[in-house]
Amino acid sequence: MNGTVVKNQLIFDFASGILGPAKSLFASTYLQLNTKASKIGSTFENMLGENLIDNENIQPKSLKYTDCIESKNSKPSSNIKDPITSFFGNLNNLKWKQVYKGFKEYTASIDDKDELKLIKMDPGVSVPLHSHGGKEYILVLEGSFCDEYGEYSKGDIQINDQKIKHTPIASRDTGCICLSITEKDVIFYGKYGSFLNLFTFIKSFFKSK
Amino acid sequence: MEKPNLDNSMRRIQKDRDEMAFSEIFDFFAPKVNAYFIQNGIKFESSEELTQEVLSTVWVKSNLYDSNKSALSTWIFTIARNKKIDFFRKISKIDFKEEDIREFLYQDREVSLIEENEAKKQIERINNELDEQQKIMIKMNFFENKSHKKIADELEIPLGTVKSRIRHILTKMQEFLR
Repeated sequence: MNGTVVKNQLIFDFASGILGPAKSLFASTYLQLNTKASKIGSTFENMLGENLIDNENIQPKSLKYTDCIESKNSKPSSNIKDPITSFFGNLNNLKWKQVYKGFKEYTASIDDKDELKLIKMDPGVSVPLHSHGGKEYILVLEGSFCDEYGEYSKGDIQINDQKIKHTPIASRDTGCICLSITEKDVIFYGKYGSFLNLFTFIKSFFKSK
Repeated sequence: MEKPNLDNSMRRIQKDRDEMAFSEIFDFFAPKVNAYFIQNGIKFESSEELTQEVLSTVWVKSNLYDSNKSALSTWIFTIARNKKIDFFRKISKIDFKEEDIREFLYQDREVSLIEENEAKKQIERINNELDEQQKIMIKMNFFENKSHKKIADELEIPLGTVKSRIRHILTKMQEFLR
Protein backbone atom coordinates (compact mmCIF):
# COMPACT_ATOMS: atom_id res chain seq x y z
CA MET A 1 0.00 0.00 0.00
CA ASN A 2 1.29 3.44 -0.89
CA GLY A 3 1.23 5.43 2.36
CA THR A 4 1.53 8.80 0.61
CA VAL A 5 -1.67 8.24 -1.34
CA VAL A 6 -3.67 7.28 1.74
CA LYS A 7 -2.30 10.19 3.79
CA ASN A 8 -3.04 12.74 1.08
CA GLN A 9 -6.43 11.19 0.48
CA LEU A 10 -7.17 11.74 4.18
CA ILE A 11 -6.07 15.40 3.97
CA PHE A 12 -8.07 16.04 0.76
CA ASP A 13 -11.17 14.34 2.15
CA PHE A 14 -10.91 16.42 5.32
CA ALA A 15 -10.66 19.63 3.30
CA SER A 16 -13.64 18.54 1.21
CA GLY A 17 -15.67 17.92 4.33
CA ILE A 18 -16.75 14.37 3.58
CA LEU A 19 -15.18 12.52 6.52
CA GLY A 20 -17.21 11.14 9.40
CA PRO A 21 -16.66 12.43 12.96
CA ALA A 22 -13.97 9.89 13.93
CA LYS A 23 -11.78 10.49 10.89
CA SER A 24 -12.36 14.24 11.09
CA LEU A 25 -10.92 14.31 14.60
CA PHE A 26 -8.05 12.12 13.47
CA ALA A 27 -7.30 14.25 10.40
CA SER A 28 -7.48 17.60 12.18
CA THR A 29 -5.09 16.31 14.86
CA TYR A 30 -2.74 15.14 12.11
CA LEU A 31 -2.84 18.59 10.50
CA GLN A 32 -2.19 20.21 13.86
CA LEU A 33 0.87 18.05 14.66
CA ASN A 34 2.43 17.69 11.21
CA THR A 35 3.66 20.84 9.45
CA LYS A 36 4.01 19.20 6.04
CA ALA A 37 0.51 17.80 6.21
CA SER A 38 -0.93 21.14 7.27
CA LYS A 39 0.76 22.85 4.32
CA ILE A 40 -0.73 20.33 1.93
CA GLY A 41 -4.09 20.86 3.61
CA SER A 42 -3.88 24.65 3.29
CA THR A 43 -2.79 24.48 -0.33
CA PHE A 44 -5.60 22.13 -1.12
CA GLU A 45 -8.17 24.37 0.59
CA ASN A 46 -6.87 27.20 -1.58
CA MET A 47 -7.31 25.01 -4.66
CA LEU A 48 -10.90 24.38 -3.67
CA GLY A 49 -11.31 28.13 -3.17
CA GLU A 50 -10.11 28.65 -6.75
CA ASN A 51 -12.70 26.10 -7.85
CA LEU A 52 -15.31 28.30 -6.19
CA ILE A 53 -14.16 31.39 -8.13
CA ASP A 54 -14.33 29.49 -11.43
CA ASN A 55 -17.55 27.71 -10.55
CA GLU A 56 -20.64 28.03 -12.70
CA ASN A 57 -23.39 30.41 -11.59
CA ILE A 58 -26.78 29.16 -10.48
CA GLN A 59 -28.75 32.22 -9.43
CA PRO A 60 -30.77 31.89 -6.23
CA LYS A 61 -34.41 32.56 -7.13
CA SER A 62 -35.57 34.78 -4.32
CA LEU A 63 -32.48 35.62 -2.31
CA LYS A 64 -31.23 39.20 -2.16
CA TYR A 65 -28.18 40.60 -0.46
CA THR A 66 -30.38 42.48 1.99
CA ASP A 67 -31.70 39.11 3.27
CA CYS A 68 -28.18 38.29 4.38
CA ILE A 69 -27.64 41.56 6.19
CA GLU A 70 -30.85 41.21 8.18
CA SER A 71 -30.64 37.58 9.19
CA LYS A 72 -28.79 36.68 12.35
CA ASN A 73 -27.09 33.33 12.65
CA SER A 74 -24.00 34.16 14.59
CA LYS A 75 -22.72 31.53 16.96
CA PRO A 76 -19.94 32.39 19.36
CA SER A 77 -16.53 31.37 18.07
CA SER A 78 -14.77 28.61 19.88
CA ASN A 79 -11.43 28.56 18.05
CA ILE A 80 -10.16 25.09 18.85
CA LYS A 81 -6.39 24.95 19.00
CA ASP A 82 -6.03 21.42 20.29
CA PRO A 83 -8.72 18.99 19.13
CA ILE A 84 -7.48 16.08 21.29
CA THR A 85 -7.63 17.96 24.58
CA SER A 86 -10.96 19.53 23.64
CA PHE A 87 -12.44 16.13 22.97
CA PHE A 88 -10.78 13.85 25.53
CA GLY A 89 -9.79 16.37 28.22
CA ASN A 90 -6.61 15.65 30.15
CA LEU A 91 -5.34 12.27 28.93
CA ASN A 92 -4.02 11.43 32.39
CA ASN A 93 -7.53 11.53 33.80
CA LEU A 94 -9.04 9.06 31.33
CA LYS A 95 -10.22 5.65 32.45
CA TRP A 96 -7.69 3.63 30.48
CA LYS A 97 -8.39 -0.04 29.98
CA GLN A 98 -5.37 -2.30 30.41
CA VAL A 99 -5.17 -4.85 27.58
CA TYR A 100 -1.97 -6.39 28.96
CA LYS A 101 0.91 -5.17 31.07
CA GLY A 102 2.27 -1.88 29.70
CA PHE A 103 -0.41 -1.61 26.98
CA LYS A 104 -3.55 0.41 27.64
CA GLU A 105 -6.30 1.70 25.40
CA TYR A 106 -9.27 4.04 25.58
CA THR A 107 -12.11 3.74 23.07
CA ALA A 108 -13.87 7.02 22.31
CA SER A 109 -17.64 6.98 22.45
CA ILE A 110 -18.35 8.47 19.11
CA ASP A 111 -21.26 7.77 16.80
CA ASP A 112 -19.50 6.60 13.66
CA LYS A 113 -18.78 3.50 11.61
CA ASP A 114 -15.04 3.93 12.22
CA GLU A 115 -13.67 3.16 15.66
CA LEU A 116 -11.49 5.78 17.35
CA LYS A 117 -9.08 4.74 20.09
CA LEU A 118 -6.22 6.11 22.13
CA ILE A 119 -3.35 3.70 22.73
CA LYS A 120 -0.75 4.08 25.46
CA MET A 121 2.39 1.97 25.56
CA ASP A 122 4.94 2.04 28.37
CA PRO A 123 8.64 2.41 27.44
CA GLY A 124 10.01 -0.68 25.68
CA VAL A 125 6.67 -2.49 25.51
CA SER A 126 5.95 -4.33 22.28
CA VAL A 127 2.87 -5.62 20.50
CA PRO A 128 3.01 -9.27 19.39
CA LEU A 129 3.16 -9.89 15.63
CA HIS A 130 -0.27 -9.25 14.19
CA SER A 131 -2.15 -8.29 11.06
CA HIS A 132 -5.29 -6.20 10.63
CA GLY A 133 -8.90 -6.88 9.77
CA GLY A 134 -9.84 -3.55 8.24
CA LYS A 135 -7.58 -0.63 7.44
CA GLU A 136 -5.96 0.91 10.48
CA TYR A 137 -4.50 4.43 10.87
CA ILE A 138 -2.06 5.22 13.69
CA LEU A 139 -0.99 8.76 14.58
CA VAL A 140 1.72 9.36 17.20
CA LEU A 141 0.66 12.02 19.74
CA GLU A 142 3.53 11.66 22.22
CA GLY A 143 6.78 9.72 22.29
CA SER A 144 7.60 7.28 19.49
CA PHE A 145 7.54 3.66 18.40
CA CYS A 146 9.26 1.59 15.76
CA ASP A 147 8.58 -1.58 13.83
CA GLU A 148 9.93 -3.51 10.83
CA TYR A 149 9.04 -0.57 8.57
CA GLY A 150 10.66 2.33 10.41
CA GLU A 151 10.45 4.76 13.31
CA TYR A 152 7.41 6.89 13.98
CA SER A 153 7.42 9.97 16.21
CA LYS A 154 5.04 12.78 17.12
CA GLY A 155 2.95 13.79 14.11
CA ASP A 156 3.82 10.70 12.03
CA ILE A 157 1.13 8.45 10.62
CA GLN A 158 1.30 4.76 9.92
CA ILE A 159 -1.33 3.07 7.80
CA ASN A 160 -1.86 -0.68 8.02
CA ASP A 161 -4.02 -2.99 6.00
CA GLN A 162 -4.60 -6.73 5.82
CA LYS A 163 -1.30 -7.32 4.04
CA ILE A 164 0.83 -5.81 6.78
CA LYS A 165 2.20 -7.88 9.62
CA HIS A 166 4.33 -6.08 12.15
CA THR A 167 5.72 -5.95 15.69
CA PRO A 168 5.63 -2.36 17.02
CA ILE A 169 7.86 -1.51 19.99
CA ALA A 170 7.44 1.67 22.05
CA SER A 171 10.52 3.84 22.54
CA ARG A 172 12.60 2.75 25.54
CA ASP A 173 12.93 6.35 26.72
CA THR A 174 9.48 7.80 26.30
CA GLY A 175 6.94 5.10 25.54
CA CYS A 176 4.18 6.42 23.32
CA ILE A 177 0.61 7.61 23.08
CA CYS A 178 -1.14 7.15 19.73
CA LEU A 179 -4.50 7.88 18.21
CA SER A 180 -5.91 5.09 16.08
CA ILE A 181 -8.75 4.61 13.64
CA THR A 182 -10.00 1.20 12.65
CA GLU A 183 -12.22 0.98 9.61
CA LYS A 184 -14.96 -1.56 9.78
CA ASP A 185 -15.32 -4.23 7.12
CA VAL A 186 -16.07 -2.95 3.67
CA ILE A 187 -19.66 -3.08 2.52
CA PHE A 188 -20.05 -4.35 -1.03
CA TYR A 189 -22.48 -2.91 -3.50
CA GLY A 190 -23.68 -4.01 -6.93
CA LYS A 191 -24.70 -7.26 -8.51
CA TYR A 192 -22.91 -9.66 -6.19
CA GLY A 193 -23.06 -7.32 -3.20
CA SER A 194 -25.49 -9.25 -1.04
CA PHE A 195 -23.54 -12.46 -1.56
CA LEU A 196 -20.23 -10.78 -0.63
CA ASN A 197 -21.79 -9.13 2.41
CA LEU A 198 -23.10 -12.48 3.59
CA PHE A 199 -19.60 -13.85 3.18
CA THR A 200 -18.15 -10.97 5.24
CA PHE A 201 -20.80 -11.51 7.87
CA ILE A 202 -20.03 -15.21 8.19
CA LYS A 203 -16.31 -14.44 8.30
CA SER A 204 -16.76 -11.91 11.09
CA PHE A 205 -18.96 -14.37 12.96
CA PHE A 206 -16.15 -16.90 13.05
CA LYS A 207 -13.60 -14.24 13.88
CA SER A 208 -15.48 -13.16 16.96
CA LYS A 209 -15.72 -16.74 18.26
CA MET B 1 -10.53 38.67 -12.60
CA GLU B 2 -12.77 40.63 -10.25
CA LYS B 3 -10.88 39.45 -7.22
CA PRO B 4 -8.89 42.59 -6.38
CA ASN B 5 -12.10 44.59 -6.32
CA LEU B 6 -13.68 42.09 -4.00
CA ASP B 7 -10.75 42.29 -1.59
CA ASN B 8 -11.37 46.00 -1.58
CA SER B 9 -15.10 45.43 -0.97
CA MET B 10 -14.22 43.21 1.95
CA ARG B 11 -12.10 45.97 3.48
CA ARG B 12 -14.98 48.40 3.11
CA ILE B 13 -17.26 45.97 4.93
CA GLN B 14 -14.74 45.49 7.71
CA LYS B 15 -14.10 49.21 8.15
CA ASP B 16 -17.43 50.87 7.44
CA ARG B 17 -20.03 48.07 7.37
CA ASP B 18 -20.55 49.19 3.78
CA GLU B 19 -23.71 47.52 2.45
CA MET B 20 -22.99 48.36 -1.18
CA ALA B 21 -19.60 46.65 -0.86
CA PHE B 22 -21.38 43.62 0.54
CA SER B 23 -23.78 43.57 -2.41
CA GLU B 24 -20.75 43.26 -4.73
CA ILE B 25 -19.49 40.24 -2.85
CA PHE B 26 -23.00 38.81 -2.78
CA ASP B 27 -23.47 39.24 -6.54
CA PHE B 28 -20.24 37.45 -7.32
CA PHE B 29 -20.30 34.64 -4.78
CA ALA B 30 -23.98 33.84 -4.06
CA PRO B 31 -24.63 32.09 -7.45
CA LYS B 32 -21.35 30.16 -7.15
CA VAL B 33 -22.00 29.08 -3.58
CA ASN B 34 -25.56 28.11 -4.55
CA ALA B 35 -24.15 26.03 -7.42
CA TYR B 36 -21.68 24.37 -5.02
CA PHE B 37 -24.53 23.12 -2.82
CA ILE B 38 -26.52 21.87 -5.82
CA GLN B 39 -23.43 20.10 -7.20
CA ASN B 40 -23.13 18.40 -3.82
CA GLY B 41 -26.60 16.92 -4.24
CA ILE B 42 -28.59 19.44 -2.20
CA LYS B 43 -32.04 20.39 -3.51
CA PHE B 44 -32.80 23.91 -4.66
CA GLU B 45 -34.78 25.31 -1.71
CA SER B 46 -32.20 24.03 0.77
CA SER B 47 -29.31 25.26 -1.35
CA GLU B 48 -30.77 28.73 -1.30
CA GLU B 49 -31.20 28.68 2.48
CA LEU B 50 -27.63 27.50 2.91
CA THR B 51 -26.38 30.18 0.52
CA GLN B 52 -28.13 32.75 2.67
CA GLU B 53 -26.43 31.36 5.78
CA VAL B 54 -23.01 31.48 4.10
CA LEU B 55 -23.34 35.07 2.92
CA SER B 56 -24.80 36.14 6.28
CA THR B 57 -21.72 34.67 7.95
CA VAL B 58 -19.50 36.69 5.60
CA TRP B 59 -21.36 39.83 6.66
CA VAL B 60 -21.59 39.10 10.39
CA LYS B 61 -18.11 37.64 10.85
CA SER B 62 -16.24 39.83 8.37
CA ASN B 63 -13.75 40.75 11.09
CA LEU B 64 -12.52 37.14 11.16
CA TYR B 65 -11.24 37.41 7.62
CA ASP B 66 -7.56 38.25 7.26
CA SER B 67 -6.44 38.94 3.69
CA ASN B 68 -2.80 38.22 4.59
CA LYS B 69 -3.65 34.72 5.70
CA SER B 70 -5.93 33.50 2.98
CA ALA B 71 -7.69 34.37 -0.23
CA LEU B 72 -11.27 35.58 0.12
CA SER B 73 -12.44 32.67 -2.03
CA THR B 74 -10.76 30.16 0.30
CA TRP B 75 -12.39 31.73 3.34
CA ILE B 76 -15.83 31.67 1.72
CA PHE B 77 -15.28 28.11 0.49
CA THR B 78 -14.54 26.92 4.03
CA ILE B 79 -17.70 28.59 5.35
CA ALA B 80 -19.77 26.90 2.63
CA ARG B 81 -18.10 23.54 3.28
CA ASN B 82 -18.84 23.78 7.00
CA LYS B 83 -22.50 24.53 6.28
CA LYS B 84 -22.59 21.52 4.00
CA ILE B 85 -21.17 19.22 6.71
CA ASP B 86 -23.76 20.57 9.11
CA PHE B 87 -26.58 20.07 6.61
CA PHE B 88 -25.71 16.42 5.93
CA ARG B 89 -25.21 15.78 9.63
CA LYS B 90 -28.70 17.02 10.35
CA ILE B 91 -30.46 15.02 7.64
CA SER B 92 -28.56 11.82 8.39
CA LYS B 93 -29.73 11.66 11.97
CA ILE B 94 -33.18 11.57 13.43
CA ASP B 95 -31.84 12.88 16.68
CA PHE B 96 -29.22 15.40 15.64
CA LYS B 97 -29.15 17.15 18.99
CA GLU B 98 -26.46 14.74 20.01
CA GLU B 99 -23.18 16.55 19.80
CA ASP B 100 -21.00 15.91 16.82
CA ILE B 101 -17.33 16.77 17.16
CA ARG B 102 -17.17 18.03 13.59
CA GLU B 103 -19.15 21.03 14.71
CA PHE B 104 -16.30 22.32 16.82
CA LEU B 105 -13.51 20.87 14.66
CA TYR B 106 -14.49 22.78 11.58
CA GLN B 107 -16.01 25.85 13.18
CA ASP B 108 -13.66 28.78 12.95
CA ARG B 109 -10.71 26.56 12.32
CA GLU B 110 -7.82 28.74 11.30
CA VAL B 111 -8.28 28.77 7.57
CA SER B 112 -4.76 28.85 6.32
CA LEU B 113 -1.40 28.20 7.87
CA ILE B 114 0.48 29.43 4.86
CA GLU B 115 0.78 32.92 3.51
CA GLU B 116 -1.58 33.87 0.75
CA ASN B 117 1.41 34.56 -1.56
CA GLU B 118 2.97 31.19 -0.88
CA ALA B 119 -0.36 29.49 -1.55
CA LYS B 120 -0.67 31.35 -4.84
CA LYS B 121 2.75 30.21 -6.01
CA GLN B 122 2.04 26.62 -5.08
CA ILE B 123 -1.30 26.59 -6.83
CA GLU B 124 0.37 28.03 -9.91
CA ARG B 125 2.95 25.26 -9.80
CA ILE B 126 0.29 22.60 -9.36
CA ASN B 127 -1.80 24.05 -12.17
CA ASN B 128 1.23 23.83 -14.46
CA GLU B 129 1.72 20.18 -13.58
CA LEU B 130 -1.87 19.08 -14.06
CA ASP B 131 -3.60 18.82 -17.41
CA GLU B 132 -7.17 20.01 -18.00
CA GLN B 133 -8.70 16.61 -17.42
CA GLN B 134 -6.93 16.20 -14.07
CA LYS B 135 -8.12 19.64 -12.97
CA ILE B 136 -11.68 18.71 -13.85
CA MET B 137 -11.31 15.42 -11.97
CA ILE B 138 -10.05 17.20 -8.85
CA LYS B 139 -13.01 19.53 -8.99
CA MET B 140 -15.54 16.76 -9.54
CA ASN B 141 -14.04 14.51 -6.88
CA PHE B 142 -13.26 16.92 -4.06
CA PHE B 143 -15.33 20.04 -4.75
CA GLU B 144 -18.51 18.37 -6.00
CA ASN B 145 -17.82 15.15 -4.04
CA LYS B 146 -18.67 12.85 -6.93
CA SER B 147 -17.67 9.20 -6.80
CA HIS B 148 -15.01 7.85 -9.15
CA LYS B 149 -17.75 5.90 -10.91
CA LYS B 150 -19.82 9.01 -11.53
CA ILE B 151 -16.79 10.92 -12.79
CA ALA B 152 -16.01 8.05 -15.20
CA ASP B 153 -19.62 8.10 -16.49
CA GLU B 154 -19.75 11.87 -16.95
CA LEU B 155 -16.37 12.15 -18.65
CA GLU B 156 -17.00 8.95 -20.63
CA ILE B 157 -13.68 7.37 -19.74
CA PRO B 158 -12.91 4.04 -18.03
CA LEU B 159 -13.20 3.87 -14.24
CA GLY B 160 -9.63 2.56 -14.00
CA THR B 161 -8.34 5.70 -15.73
CA VAL B 162 -10.13 7.95 -13.24
CA LYS B 163 -8.73 6.00 -10.30
CA SER B 164 -5.16 5.95 -11.58
CA ARG B 165 -5.15 9.64 -12.58
CA ILE B 166 -6.46 10.79 -9.18
CA ARG B 167 -4.02 8.45 -7.50
CA HIS B 168 -1.26 10.06 -9.53
CA ILE B 169 -2.21 13.52 -8.22
CA LEU B 170 -2.27 12.26 -4.64
CA THR B 171 1.17 10.68 -5.08
CA LYS B 172 2.69 13.80 -6.65
CA MET B 173 1.33 16.30 -4.13
CA GLN B 174 4.53 16.31 -2.01
CA GLU B 175 6.66 16.93 -5.08
CA PHE B 176 4.44 19.77 -6.26
CA LEU B 177 4.86 21.53 -2.94
CA ARG B 178 8.62 21.45 -2.90
